[in-house]
Amino acid sequence: MRVRRTRTIRTAAAVGTALVLASALAACGSGSGDGGAVTLTFWTHTHPPMVKLNEALIAEYQQQHPNVKIKYQTIPNDEFNTKTLTAMSNGTGPDVLNMDDSALRGEYLPKELVAPIDAGALGAASADEVKARYNAGVLDGAAKDGQYYGLPSEFNATAFAINTKHFTDAGLDPNAAPKTWDEVAADAKKLVAAQHTQAFSFLYLHSGWYSQQLQTLLNQTGGTLTDPGHEHATVTSPQSVAALQLWVDLAAGKDKSADPNKTSREATSPFSDLATGRQSMAIVYPWAMEQIRQSNPDVYKQLKVVPLPQLNPAQPVNRWYGYYWAVGKASKHQAEAWKFISYLASKHERWLSDVDFIQPVSGWDTGQAAKKVDALPVWSSAYQKGKFDQVAPHYSEVQDALTDMVNDAVFDHVAVPDAAKKASDRIDRSLGS
Amino acid sequence: MAVLALPRRRDSADRRRHTTGMLLAIPALALFAVFAIYPMLRVFYLSVFDYSLTTPPKFVGMDNFAHLATDPQFGEAVLQTVVYAAGTYVPALALALVLAHALNNRTRAGGLIRLLYFLPVAASWVAVSVIWRVVLNPDGLLNQALGLHLNWLTSSDTAMWGLVLMGVWKETGFFLILFLAGLQAIPGELYEASELDGAGRWSRFRYVTWPMLRPVTAVCSVMAVIRGFQAFSPQLVLTNGGFGTEVVNLFVYKTAFENARMGRASAVAVLMFLLLFVLTLVQLRVFARRDR
Repeated sequence: MRVRRTRTIRTAAAVGTALVLASALAACGSGSGDGGAVTLTFWTHTHPPMVKLNEALIAEYQQQHPNVKIKYQTIPNDEFNTKTLTAMSNGTGPDVLNMDDSALRGEYLPKELVAPIDAGALGAASADEVKARYNAGVLDGAAKDGQYYGLPSEFNATAFAINTKHFTDAGLDPNAAPKTWDEVAADAKKLVAAQHTQAFSFLYLHSGWYSQQLQTLLNQTGGTLTDPGHEHATVTSPQSVAALQLWVDLAAGKDKSADPNKTSREATSPFSDLATGRQSMAIVYPWAMEQIRQSNPDVYKQLKVVPLPQLNPAQPVNRWYGYYWAVGKASKHQAEAWKFISYLASKHERWLSDVDFIQPVSGWDTGQAAKKVDALPVWSSAYQKGKFDQVAPHYSEVQDALTDMVNDAVFDHVAVPDAAKKASDRIDRSLGS
Repeated sequence: MAVLALPRRRDSADRRRHTTGMLLAIPALALFAVFAIYPMLRVFYLSVFDYSLTTPPKFVGMDNFAHLATDPQFGEAVLQTVVYAAGTYVPALALALVLAHALNNRTRAGGLIRLLYFLPVAASWVAVSVIWRVVLNPDGLLNQALGLHLNWLTSSDTAMWGLVLMGVWKETGFFLILFLAGLQAIPGELYEASELDGAGRWSRFRYVTWPMLRPVTAVCSVMAVIRGFQAFSPQLVLTNGGFGTEVVNLFVYKTAFENARMGRASAVAVLMFLLLFVLTLVQLRVFARRDR
């Protein structure tokens, strides 16, 4: 009996070992669908209205293409780049991703992680024909060395929102919105006096948000992050320091217009202070207004979109940024992936009507959906002239340095030139290694 | 003959048992080798390469270590780790010892009180961090309770101490249970004998409790250092390393996964491994010497 039991245990152990090894080996080489069936993985961040429309469009596409299955995965905004970059770097990333232009140009294109557009799959004879479908310059957010790597899922210009009720409470004319940052500061003082204490605040969410707001100001002061060759940081230049000083004056200095310690830091609902009526003025994008309309319709009715305040209103400078649908270079189904993207992009009217995502195909602002967009002239004007953010090698490290620079100056009250110098040294170290 | 044959049969049975034992252990050992040993060796290997995941690793010798030696950000991360570890675990250990001593006398509510102290340990760091984000808010519970107006998580003067406070709250229960187990293992006769010898409360603690607790204290001490140097989640969730709270593990995470500098991140991991190894050896030696 004992011998038999021992044998049984030994057999079980051997089988167990074999099973573990077999499953480990199986895990090393996962197969994909065959027999004509294609499974595409599709990753995006978690903007709720966008997720809802993506799900609807995926269902439609799968119905029209029974051989294609789309596995859709959303990843929280503040983890999206880290997870996607890591996965794509080791070849386990998605077939289709939705990524912002800074990350694309800063990390994904230099690392050759995404594939150039497939004009044929997009129903065009050439990449130039695809480019011609969009307003001038739009595809530059996903371009490298004259090649294009993505189509815009959303393309944002920057504007400003004011809460008209708060303005009226403070004795301000809602039809005379601030045109300069000095006027923002002056109006903020009156709003604070009327108990709207969070009159204007920047958003302190994650490094992407810090750097995009700083670049909004850098565009206006003429400042830059690095020299054109990306050899040295230029955040200590007078123009760049002026941008940081402007931020500090409004946030914590002579023009303090809110307590930055009391602004919401929830990255999944970035505009919650404006949306809940706590904040009176904010820098906004089209998608943000739609999010507020859906989540807080009563406050939305109080809001008015006006042009972004400028240092020099006679020569306004706007900031552009976009998210692009792109295809992983490691994808085994690139043509199918671009066909799926082609379908998503063909629904630009729905993206505008349902989510307020502007996909600036030629004549976007004359379509049926555009007619229903609040403040269309403001947005349309903001789209006329803009600049993409400057990016640099090791852009994540640069963004971290900018974040600490702003934190030092705004929250720890470090002198602006000292904060800029510290960031400059850090960026130089990053660029040089 | 039968007497001579018996050991041989026993040897054979022992061998079979050992073989069976080895076979049963193989799956676990294989998993351990694949998921623990191999990654660790790989980290040592990668530490001498420049590797960004997308291009083949390039051998750079000791360059990664040389860079770290002159990188002020890494230096700050090490210092901040030491401050966090010491700030959290020295008070947590002391508090745990005091509380364990108080709870050692079995009362009817003793079990419930022990459970309450242990609850924060059972909760995940992320969940606890989310709760403490509310507690440490400028309008949060802590400021209200203490009548303060501190911006706990958005100032370099206070962010670290906010994290330390949370760490002490979270970790004390863990050591409390260990100390309590140690206290309850001390034979009551020793206390009776010392009382007969006229020892007071302090003398009983000094000459009975403390020496008898030394093995448990050694374990607690080693674990405290390791847990302190492994801090990561609260710093990520509450400050993302801002305001002077970037600890070494967060530095590794950002270097590896946000900035794709796998070689440099591996070099930091190697340095931390060696540091922890040395610190553990020193602690064990110190406690062993006292035992002699």
